[in-house]
Amino acid sequence: MEIQVRKNILGENDRMAAENRAMFADNGVYVINLMGSPGSGKTSVLEKTMEKLKGELRMAVIEGDLFTSKDADRIAKHDVPVIQINTSGGCHLDAAMVQKVARKMDLAALDLLIVENVGNLVCPAEFDVGEDDKGVVLSVTEGDDKPLKYPLIFKESAVAILNKVDILPYCNFDMESAREDISALHPGMTILETSCTTGQGIEPWCEWLRQRVEEKQNR
Amino acid sequence: MCKECGCGEMNGNARLHFTAKGYTETNVKEVEKSLLGLPGVFHVHIHVHDGETTVEYSPAKTKLMDILGALGKHDIEASL
Ligand SMILES: Nc1nc2c(ncn2[C@@H]2O[C@H](COP(=O)(O)OP(=O)(O)OP(=O)(O)O)[C@@H](O)[C@H]2O)c(=O)[nH]1
Ligand SMILES: [Mg+2]
Repeated sequence: MEIQVRKNILGENDRMAAENRAMFADNGVYVINLMGSPGSGKTSVLEKTMEKLKGELRMAVIEGDLFTSKDADRIAKHDVPVIQINTSGGCHLDAAMVQKVARKMDLAALDLLIVENVGNLVCPAEFDVGEDDKGVVLSVTEGDDKPLKYPLIFKESAVAILNKVDILPYCNFDMESAREDISALHPGMTILETSCTTGQGIEPWCEWLRQRVEEKQNR
Repeated sequence: MCKECGCGEMNGNARLHFTAKGYTETNVKEVEKSLLGLPGVFHVHIHVHDGETTVEYSPAKTKLMDILGALGKHDIEASL
């Protein structure tokens, strides 16, 4: 009985995700769903991205958090349209939550919509929100063992951002081993190393985004 | 939280536990990589000395035949 109910819930999410995907396609906007543990640096990477791509790409952000609008406030400082979703305890964003706010946005006026998911290395990976790509931010303080321990998020993501490389000298994070494990889980996946403190790796990340946006617009 | 939303429970992953012949200290890393690289395989654990193998995977994404096929490419014979 229980299984039946859950199947319906998931089927419902996939149905709404398909609606979202069609809506994004109609408006020619590329959407990335950025996931990762609490504090891995998702908002920090976004802030750096806004600085770099402002004036070049028309961007907006959907911020998913359990509570508060702290992340949305940080994005708003960059003069980029942002909508906060508070899940009030929910551990991930789903397609319905994204649809509700996306319908209020002027999608036709956008090239790039970034959805920052709730900080969580597990559940968000299971829910399609209608994005073009998923991305995962893993910071070096979390440990190089995380890809094999949380495989789904790396399987589902098109890009892995290994963040906080500025503090590598103070961590026992083995970059080579992490890269090897991620590539084993998802052969051919793009892996980038970034620091929001020094700005290292932000340009290659923005270049990856530019290409994905362009590919979408030429589709 | 996860209990409320039910996520993590709906994935219906399967765990395969079997013994296989043909593992060596030199090929085992490559075999693990080939299995893990399949879309639905999340975890692989192999004991080289007795061939004991555990594979956790999503049957919705990867078929049993694909797993056997990946093993076969390395001349590993599984007895399921
Ligand atoms: N040293 C260093 N600190 C960083 C870097 N990126 C982010 N931080 C810090 O890490 C902390 C968490 O960063 P956030 O950007 O808020 O992380 P988040 O993933 O958005 O967190 P949630 O939204 O709460 O899940 C902040 O104090 C950042 O200043 C980095 O590259 N290097
Ligand atoms: Mg954040």
